[in-house]
Amino acid sequence: MKRFHWGLLALAIVACVVAAWIIYVPGPTAFASGSTVALGDYKGTNPTGVPVSLASGDIVKRGEYLTRAADCEACHTAKGGVPYAGGLAFNLPFGTLYSPNITPDKETGIGNWTDADFINALHKGIAPDGSRFYPAFPYPSYTLLTNDDVLAIKAYLFSLKPVRQETEPNSLAFPFNQRWGMMFWSLFYNSNERYRPNPSQSAEWNRGAYLAEALGHCGECHTPRNLLQAVDNKKKFAGAVTAGWRAYNITQDATSGIGSWDLDTTAKFLAHGHVEGLGTASGPMGEAIDMSLRHMAPEDINALVVYLKSIPAIADTSLPLPKTMLASGFPTNQEIAENARGAMIFAGACAACHGWSGKSPILSYADFVGGRTVNDPTARNVAQAIIWGVTRHTPNGVVTMPGFGKAYSDEEIAAVSNYITARFGAEKSRITAADIKTIGKQASQ
Amino acid sequence: MITLHVNGQPHDVDASPDTPLLWALRDVLGMTGTKFGCGIAQCGACTVHVDGQAVRSCQLSIGSVGDQAITTIEGIGSSDVGAKVQKAWLDLEVIQCGYCQSGQIMSAAALLAHKPHPTDEDIDAAMAGNICRCGTYVRIREAIKKATAA
Repeated sequence: MKRFHWGLLALAIVACVVAAWIIYVPGPTAFASGSTVALGDYKGTNPTGVPVSLASGDIVKRGEYLTRAADCEACHTAKGGVPYAGGLAFNLPFGTLYSPNITPDKETGIGNWTDADFINALHKGIAPDGSRFYPAFPYPSYTLLTNDDVLAIKAYLFSLKPVRQETEPNSLAFPFNQRWGMMFWSLFYNSNERYRPNPSQSAEWNRGAYLAEALGHCGECHTPRNLLQAVDNKKKFAGAVTAGWRAYNITQDATSGIGSWDLDTTAKFLAHGHVEGLGTASGPMGEAIDMSLRHMAPEDINALVVYLKSIPAIADTSLPLPKTMLASGFPTNQEIAENARGAMIFAGACAACHGWSGKSPILSYADFVGGRTVNDPTARNVAQAIIWGVTRHTPNGVVTMPGFGKAYSDEEIAAVSNYITARFGAEKSRITAADIKTIGKQASQ
Repeated sequence: MITLHVNGQPHDVDASPDTPLLWALRDVLGMTGTKFGCGIAQCGACTVHVDGQAVRSCQLSIGSVGDQAITTIEGIGSSDVGAKVQKAWLDLEVIQCGYCQSGQIMSAAALLAHKPHPTDEDIDAAMAGNICRCGTYVRIREAIKKATAA
């Protein structure tokens, strides 16, 4: 009898340890060697705020830079809507969330918010009326921001023209519609602690960490989430699916991550979202580049590169080494026979801009060769780009690929997606019409 | 000011680098043989050659052309392949309304310049991006074969 009790106890302890391990998430910079200190005790160059060239600017100018670095616009703007007026729909498995209006309109925006209200929102995820925000709003990242930076962002938002635009109410299913439940989630997953520099690392690394973790919140998309939907830093930057698009592995793994990119290449990709031979960022990452990263000062891009280069490699065996060889000038009969429908659509709708070889005759942003998207055997992002189209800012102006989601059937989009990965990628995909139907609806609209 | 090399002649174009080549050709240089169809590289009416490659000029910015040689429907007849294609087109009365045909001829000439003896599959692949509302596809394929034999 006694032995039985001991066995039960041991089992319970093991279960608790396992549960704790699943629930426990290390801090965002815990992977780095050396211990962290409070900002006030840090002797190195201040990693927070704006770059030196802007430091003497007024608070609105500094706020503009920080607002872009935090990429508030991407989520707080409906497709084709007024920037920061909200209304973007996040289609989640348990319902739809709408981003709120953060222009200074007093009735429908945040015009009545005090400084303390704004700090509370970004640091604690609590609205002025005491209700809790959902972590689609990345306050576990923004909590790392200093008060000065938070208030500079507020000053910039309050300098914008107020836009009167009601936010549509969320349509979340029970129990997810109970906002108070987020109180417990926050206890676990919101540190409510400002960024802690690491004196063992360089000044650039610390600035890069502040940019990536506090402002840019890279991990919110690129790090997988645990059972409780918290960013799981045990798999930091190892890649995840967010809003229907695959945010790829950005660890230093040479095959499935970005470990083979040198410093210059990484910097160029961050600043432009495109490097010849490595493809082009599209979807949410394209937006992150266009609205945020391309506006960053070169020294901040370099700091981000230093930080990214320090991320431990995690291999994702589902992603092959990207194929860097061009495809043939024209498809062979055998290749066409394998996927006649895909080949037909590619010839009619895609080849004119993208070219048959994977090297675009029109512009390098439309190149396929070497890009991660066509080298992803799930074809998820290929399909999303086809369904929704792509708009990107280049140094030579805006380029656009039209969305084909309303022009082609799910079967046709699946066929041409599979054709594209087979012809231009390292491994062919087997995406189905049913997949297309599902993932198309997952994208934020 | 951007200099474009069109049909062997340099032309100075006073337009911003993000202007589509098609706009520069038609509105600035007055070469209206190249047609505007869809504006999003889906129909092929605006096809010209840039260094011998068939490209959709509605989606190509003049800033990215550089010193590359541009050939339009106005100049294609001066190359051997181009002249053969044009003759075949006339011999077989390929054209109905004609709006897409500048683009069709440019795509056909680019194909034959790279592949003097294309298979049916090559023709399909090269010509699929050029659409014709009148449905002249059968005669287009015949004419390409005729130009090959000539």
